[in-house]
Amino acid sequence: MDAPSAFIADGLTKTFPGGTTALDGLSVAVPRGAVGLVGANGAGKTTLFRLLLGLIRPTSGRVEVCGAAVATDPIGVRRRLGFMPEHDCLPPDQTAADLVATFGELSGLPPRAARQRASDVLDLVGLDEARFRSMDGFSTGMRQRTKLAQAIVADPELVLLDEPTAGLDPMGREEMLALVDRLGTFGISVVLATHLLDDVQSVCDHVVMIDGGRLVLDGPTHKLLERAGTVRLDVGGRSEELDRALSGRGFTTAVLDDGTAEVTADGQGIDDVLDIVRDAVAELGLPLHSLSTGYASLDEVFLLKASGRADD
Amino acid sequence: MSTGDPTQAATGSGHPTQAATGSGDPAFAAEATVEVAELSVWFGPKVALSELSCSFGPGVTGLLGPNGAGKTTLMRAMTGLLGPKSGSVRVLGQDPRRSREVQRSLALVPEDEAVPPALTARQLVRYVADLHGVAARMAVERCLEEVDLIDVADRRVGGFSKGMRQRAKVAAALVADPTVLVLDEPLNGTDPVQRAHLIALFRRLGAQGRTVIVSSHVLHEVERLAERQIVLLNGRLAAAGGHRAIRDTMADRPRRVLVRTPQARQLAASLLGIDAVSGVTVDDGSLVVSSSRAGEVAVALPRLARDLATRLEEVRPLDDSLESLFRELVR
Amino acid sequence: MTDAVSAVGAVYDRGYRPYDGIRRGRAGTVAALYVASIRRALGIRRSWRQKVFPWVLLAIVTVPAVVNVGIGYVTRDTPAEGFSFITYREYVGVSSALLLFVALTAPDVVCPDRRHRVLSLIFARPLVGHDYVLAKVGAVTTIVFGFSILPQIVLFVGQMLVSDGALDYLRDNAEVLWQVPVAAGLLAVYYAAIGVAVASLTSRRIVGGVALLALALVPSVITGAILGSDDATGAVAVGNLLALPLHLRDVVFLGHVDPDGPLGGVAGAGLMAAAVYTAVLVAAVTILAVRYREPDA
Repeated sequence: MDAPSAFIADGLTKTFPGGTTALDGLSVAVPRGAVGLVGANGAGKTTLFRLLLGLIRPTSGRVEVCGAAVATDPIGVRRRLGFMPEHDCLPPDQTAADLVATFGELSGLPPRAARQRASDVLDLVGLDEARFRSMDGFSTGMRQRTKLAQAIVADPELVLLDEPTAGLDPMGREEMLALVDRLGTFGISVVLATHLLDDVQSVCDHVVMIDGGRLVLDGPTHKLLERAGTVRLDVGGRSEELDRALSGRGFTTAVLDDGTAEVTADGQGIDDVLDIVRDAVAELGLPLHSLSTGYASLDEVFLLKASGRADD
Repeated sequence: MSTGDPTQAATGSGHPTQAATGSGDPAFAAEATVEVAELSVWFGPKVALSELSCSFGPGVTGLLGPNGAGKTTLMRAMTGLLGPKSGSVRVLGQDPRRSREVQRSLALVPEDEAVPPALTARQLVRYVADLHGVAARMAVERCLEEVDLIDVADRRVGGFSKGMRQRAKVAAALVADPTVLVLDEPLNGTDPVQRAHLIALFRRLGAQGRTVIVSSHVLHEVERLAERQIVLLNGRLAAAGGHRAIRDTMADRPRRVLVRTPQARQLAASLLGIDAVSGVTVDDGSLVVSSSRAGEVAVALPRLARDLATRLEEVRPLDDSLESLFRELVR
Repeated sequence: MTDAVSAVGAVYDRGYRPYDGIRRGRAGTVAALYVASIRRALGIRRSWRQKVFPWVLLAIVTVPAVVNVGIGYVTRDTPAEGFSFITYREYVGVSSALLLFVALTAPDVVCPDRRHRVLSLIFARPLVGHDYVLAKVGAVTTIVFGFSILPQIVLFVGQMLVSDGALDYLRDNAEVLWQVPVAAGLLAVYYAAIGVAVASLTSRRIVGGVALLALALVPSVITGAILGSDDATGAVAVGNLLALPLHLRDVVFLGHVDPDGPLGGVAGAGLMAAAVYTAVLVAAVTILAVRYREPDA
């Protein structure tokens, strides 16, 4: 692990011959670990991946992956990368075991090592006897697992996953996200491209959000969810009682649509607010179902940021 | 009258039924517009739906289940695209396969269906409007505005991103002013802002009294969208009702709550003194308390914390979500 | 079992094992792609159905060799001895079996990669566009070469065995041992290059195969029509793309173009043929370079 960044983009712009600008001056340094790359379809995520892989050249700007400049050494970069595309890319007349082993060899592993790694990696993703069947009968879940397997067969430093939970049912999604989570424990960094902030929230410690080819957000997940000076709690719908108890002491309590209460205090540190709220709830004998000082979800964060943008 | 009263729930196959008091089985909505009675559909040896009985009414209902559970089959049966092998489906009292009148009030937005790429968004909606005999020009404009495509209405749909295509399909579905709207993965490919707009739109439509049925695998989204859920497993009804209420009926499985607090161990010890608590796990600076009577623990918690003068930094129920419910049901 | 034995125990980590072994460079990747493509085309590690065509065609093409050897055997002590059904030179030929074989193999080697969108996976590996081309053309060349050479080996060895003296036969026909491989090689490279280039233009194997056959047959028919009759000769015969490598084959075997063939008597025929051959190869390589241009693939 030489370079501390998974990748660094510097003024990265890509305009396609038709005139569409997929990326517009993107500058960001993305750390190792599990990073979420968020944006709607068409926001530029896939283009960014292709630029990282050196499959296309930027119109201007530069990009560096795991310390290697893509423009000067695309081969070196690809040696450290694994890629799981969003689209279907598995030939129907091959077995999963054969495909993963072949791609291991294509990544530079000697044949025997490739076969061993393929076997290990297919165990990891949970493809058991199915690996010896040809892939045309595979379900979406099995396909996604096979795609993930070929991405990590050569033990890459960094793996690019493009919408890995697409098409999966809730259990499949949970299993895939758990797998992605495990990659971190193996020392493999992940860039997870998705339009689902919930996926990012459960797995990624850092979030990069792009829209229309531009950077919108960049920061550690926990920091993004942080929120100064506000406490949100669910007291079983009895928020008004809490409001009455607290309003005399310089606290404002707002009651949200779902019945939860949001308490803010002017000038008081968050620690004091927490303690006073706790005591008030205890005294009133209200049930404390939930309490938090941050935003509930990244979705909420993004929405607030987006509407904030709309105002200026 | 609201449908799918969230305080009611029922689960099938071995789980205790009906928790709270209420009028009727949560599988059936009050003022039902879509009624499914003993519906069975099979394709050769594969049984897609097995004697399914439930109904949908005004408001937004989520239709959930693993792949192969029968959701798509049910949606197609509800919109008249395929017929039952036994049992029946009635929309607004009539058979959707036969009644043209009912077909006009019914709209299906399937997931993967391609839209003709050469049409512009406006042309697409206009075309569907003409198909249904909707003459009003304003209807087309209004629908395009509802889905936030009015600015790009004259661009070819073929050049749209997935999220925009989705919205175009929704606009086309809305133009005939349907009473019943069935949507398969309607939020696929959309960014958070578009998602929020669409969620607000669907909720508005539900509040207007339309029957909106949404099928999705992204449970976080369904949770924000629908008050009532219908869960299918293996072609049968597994659960129905508000997800919290459903969870409440599964009293044999305790609820777990995460609490972050500096004196976790001491608070854990206090909590164990409470009858309702069945177990506590302690970590550095946090604990997870399990209980089948979550309400009692919720009242005790702030009091015990105050008595120990330990700050409650976070209290988070771990299985309050639709996702965790789903996991329990499928297990 | 003593207590001492059961008192110790350990769990060895069953999780992920990082790979610290050898990583072959680009050459290794190209070699792996080359081998994988050959395996695919010959149906190795695939179902029996995929193996049928290549091997059946090979069997068909080997028939003349077997017949020749058979005749040689049967007539070995008779006055008809020495009769040859087919010469080595003629055997390095363009039979319909060979053409069919190329029309089958070349598309099979590149079209599925495009059709099933496997190219994205391949180009995420440490290789460049022309590595891919090299591996694929190399694979088809090898297969076509093998296809041409194996029957020749059967013929040669068979003739050797049915002749009066095997070593004498070997000595007398020594030049065949280099002529056949060179001519077969020229043929193989030519057909492989054209085959892969045409196939790279489409993602459907059938379209590629048909296009290839058309490319081979149409100029042949046209030049034939221009020439008029079977015995006519003329420089235009060099436009018969199908038969072009045969002229080079004749140069290898005879030192010059076949005097009985369509280029017989045409001045500088050998050089013309070589020039057109080279031009065709350059065109094929250019198409491939553009098709698999990368970055920007």
